[in-house]
Amino acid sequence: MDGAHPDFADCASEPIRVPGGIQAHGALVVVDPDSLRVLQASANAETVLGLRLVPGQVSTIHAIPGTDVDPMIGEMLRWLRGGAESTFLRTARLARRHTQVIGHRTPQGVILEFEEGPEHENETLAALYPRLGRFVNAIEPVTDIRAIAATAARETREITGFNRVLVYSFDEEWNGTVIAEDGDGVLPSYLDLRFPASDIPAQARELYRLNRLRLIPDVDYLISPIVPAASPADGRPLDLSFAGLRSVSPVHLQYMQNMETAASMSISILVDGKLWGLISCHNRAPKRVNAQVRTACDFLGQTLSLQIGARERHAHASRRIELKRTESELLARLANSDSFEAGLAANPEAWMGLTGAQGAAVVLDGEVKTTGRTPTPAQLRQLAAWLEDNAEDDVFVTRSLSESWPEAEAFTDVASGLIAASISQIRASYVMWFRPEVVHTVTWGGDPRKAMAPGPDRRFGPRRSFERWKEVVHRRSQPWSAAETASAADFRNAIVNFVLRQAEQRAQLSDELARSNRELESFSYSISHDLRAPFRHIVGYAELLSERESQLDEKSRHYLDSIVEAALSAGRLVDDLLSFSQLGRQSLSPIAVDMNKLIEETRQSLLPDAAGREVEWRIGNLPAAWGDGILLRQALLNLMDNALKYSRTRSPAVIEVRGDDRPEETVYTIRDNGVGFDMAYLAKLFGVFQRLHRSEDFEGTGIGLAIVKRVIERHGGWIRAEGETGEGATFTFGLPKQEAVNG
Amino acid sequence: MADLRPILLVEDNAKDLELTLAALAKCQLANSIVVVRDGAEALDYLYERGGHSGRTPGDPAVVLLDLKLPKVDGLEVLAQVKGDPDRRQIPVVMLTSSREERDLIQSYERGVNAFVVKPVDFNAFFEAIQDLGMFWAVLNEPPPRGVVGR
Repeated sequence: MDGAHPDFADCASEPIRVPGGIQAHGALVVVDPDSLRVLQASANAETVLGLRLVPGQVSTIHAIPGTDVDPMIGEMLRWLRGGAESTFLRTARLARRHTQVIGHRTPQGVILEFEEGPEHENETLAALYPRLGRFVNAIEPVTDIRAIAATAARETREITGFNRVLVYSFDEEWNGTVIAEDGDGVLPSYLDLRFPASDIPAQARELYRLNRLRLIPDVDYLISPIVPAASPADGRPLDLSFAGLRSVSPVHLQYMQNMETAASMSISILVDGKLWGLISCHNRAPKRVNAQVRTACDFLGQTLSLQIGARERHAHASRRIELKRTESELLARLANSDSFEAGLAANPEAWMGLTGAQGAAVVLDGEVKTTGRTPTPAQLRQLAAWLEDNAEDDVFVTRSLSESWPEAEAFTDVASGLIAASISQIRASYVMWFRPEVVHTVTWGGDPRKAMAPGPDRRFGPRRSFERWKEVVHRRSQPWSAAETASAADFRNAIVNFVLRQAEQRAQLSDELARSNRELESFSYSISHDLRAPFRHIVGYAELLSERESQLDEKSRHYLDSIVEAALSAGRLVDDLLSFSQLGRQSLSPIAVDMNKLIEETRQSLLPDAAGREVEWRIGNLPAAWGDGILLRQALLNLMDNALKYSRTRSPAVIEVRGDDRPEETVYTIRDNGVGFDMAYLAKLFGVFQRLHRSEDFEGTGIGLAIVKRVIERHGGWIRAEGETGEGATFTFGLPKQEAVNG
Repeated sequence: MADLRPILLVEDNAKDLELTLAALAKCQLANSIVVVRDGAEALDYLYERGGHSGRTPGDPAVVLLDLKLPKVDGLEVLAQVKGDPDRRQIPVVMLTSSREERDLIQSYERGVNAFVVKPVDFNAFFEAIQDLGMFWAVLNEPPPRGVVGR
C-alpha cells in the first residue's frame, strides 16, 4: 500500500460508550433494581411512555401509565431475582402503544429500553424459529466459509428486509473484505471490495465485540438526552455500551450519508472471542427492525460464528496434523544425519513442506545451506545479521519483508514472505523459509488514502467516494497460516535441542582429539627415546664384532654388513617419522629466505652423492621466499635429493630449478630428466610410506615427499607434481608472500 | 696439559653404557671413567656423599649425562649442578636418544655445555664421543659459549 491512511483521530477519542443521549425512536429508563426508583430517563420518556418526572421528586417505575405496567414489573422482578444476566424482553401495551421492553443490568442500574413493537405476529420469535432452523440445517454440510456466509447474507436479508446485506471479513490488519452479499439492487454491490481498517476504528471494533448487534433505523434521528446526565449511582455519565438505542458517532452518521444509506444494522461475527467479521445490513430509506427480529439476527450471527469457528479450527487442525507428520518424518531423518543442516539439505521437500515454503535456508555461524528459491548466501548472511538486531521473538514471521527491512527490496521475487526461527542464543543462526512476491490486485471500496477528507464545511469527515478503486499490491507473499507459523515454532524447539546436542558432541570430540593428540605426542617422544636405542645397539655391537673378528669370511662379513645396514635404515625411518610428526607441532618462524643461497647450500650438500656422475645443474634466479628457513631447507633438500636420486640412470642427469615472482606468491619448480612416474599414481605420491619404486632400485623411507607437502602446507602454500614414466618429474610449489600471509 | 681428573658417565642403559665405554676406550684417554647408573647416584658422587662419601676429592673433568634416568632424571641433575655456584663450572654434556626440541631447549635453559643426540650409526657415535673426550677431558679449556653438538 502506498502512504498511510489518515487516522480517525477524532473517532478514537470520541465518547462512543457514553454519548449522553439515545436515538429518539425509543425511550430509556434507568431503574434501581432494589427500590424500583427511576434513576435516569431519556428526555422523551414523557412523550413516549407518559412518564412524568419532577425534578427533586422521587418516582418509581410504577409511574409509567398503562394496564400492562404492573405485570411487566412483576416479570421484571422475577427476572432480577433469578439473577440471570440475560436480557429481559417482553411486549407490553404501554401508553396505548404496543411496546417492546428490553432490559439489561449495569452497575449504574437496570437499563430498560422501550420501543414500539410489531403489530403483526409473523414477526415474533416463534414465527422466525422455523426459518432459523432451516438456516442451521442448510449450512451444516457446507465447508466453504464464503458459501456459508452467502447463505447467512440471504437469510438475514429475508428476515429483515434490508436492501442489501454484506458479510464482511477482517484481515490481520483489520481491513475488511466483503465475502458475501445479498441485495435487491436498490443499493450498489460491494461484493469483493475491501474497506480500510480506518473505516471501523479500534474502539468501535471493541464495542462490536462486546455488543453483538447495533441498529440505526434512521440516519437523521433525533437525539434524546439522558436526564440527569450523571448517574445518581456513581456520578458518571450513563454507560450505554449495551443499549440498543445508544446514539452513535456523528462521524459514522456522516459515513452512512456518504454511502447513501438511511438505515443500517450490524451483527458481529465472533470467533474465539475475537471479532472475525460483521454481517452489515443497509437500507436506502429509514427502517425499523423490531427486537424479535434483532434477536433472530443475533442468533443467526452466532450460528454463523460457530460454524466459521468450527470450519477454521478444522482447517487449522488438519493442516497442523499434516505439518506435524512432515515434521516428525524430517526429525527422524535429521537424527540419522551427521549434522542437522546436512540433514535439512538432504530432505528439501520435507524442509520446505514444514511451512509450505518455496525456498528454505539455514544460516549457522555464517555457513549457509539453501534449497529451493532463496536469496544469495551473502544476502542471507546480511538477513541473519539484521534478524539478530531486530527480531525479538524466537520466530519472526512476515509476508512483506521489505516493509520491515528495505534492503529486502532486492529479492522480493524470492523472499517477500519469511519465517525465521532463531536456533542459537549466542550466534546469529537461523532456519528460514521463504515465499515469493505474489503481485495481486485489491479492489477497495473507495480510495483508502482518502478515507478521511475535508468536507465542504472544511471539517474532516469520512470519505465521500465508494467508487471501486483498484490497487496493485507488490512485495507481498501469500500469507503464512497460523498452522504454518506454529509448525515453524515446533520445529525450532526440536532443532534447538538437536543443535545443542550437536554442539556438545563437537566439544566432546575436540576434547577427545586434544587428548589423543597429547597421547600421540608422548608416544612419539617415547619412540624417539626407546625405539632408536635398540637400532643403535645393533649397529654398535655389530661394528664392535666386525672389528674384533678380522678373520671373518666373505659371507659372514656380508651378513654382518647387512645387519648394520638394516638397523641403520630402521634408525633413519624412525628419524624421518619423528621429523614428520614434529612438523605438525613445531611453530613456524617465518623470515625472508634467500632461496638462491638455500638452493646452492642444498646442492653443495648433495654433491658427495653425485660423485662420479655427470650432472648438469640449471639453476635460474629465484625470488626470496617468506617462510621458515629450517623447514624450507628440509623441503628443498628432499626435492633435490629425489631429483638427483631418480635421475641416477641418466647421463647427463639434468636438474633444473626455476623461480617465478607472482603478485601474491612466489613459485618454484624443480625438474629432472629421471625415471619419472606414472600420473595414475599421483594421488599416492605425497602420502606417508607411499613408494612408487622398489626400494632395491631407489633407497628411501617413503616419507620424503610427505614431509615436503606438510612443510609447504604449513606455510599456506601448494605443491603439485607432474611426470611421465621414463620422462622425468616436475615438482612445483607456491608460497604466499608476507603481505598475503599477514593481510 | 693432560688432566687426570675422571670423566663421570651417568648412564642407566647397560648396552648404551657398554658401547659408550667401548667408544671412550678407543679414544685412549688417560682419564679414569667413573660410572654411575642413575641421577641420585650422580649427585651423590658430585657432592661426595652417600656411597661416594670419602672418595678422592675433586670435580670430574666432564659429566656425560643421559637425559632419561631413574630416580632423578638428567634435567634435574643438570639443574642442581648448574644452580650451585660451587659446581656450575663443571662441564656437563647431555647424551640422549631424544631428538625432541623441548629437551634441547630445556637443557640449554638449565645451562648445559653441550647436547649430543646419540646417532644410530656407531661410527658417528664413536666420533662424537671421541670429540667430546678430546675436547672436555683433554683440552679442558673453560667451556666456550654456544657449542652445540648435534
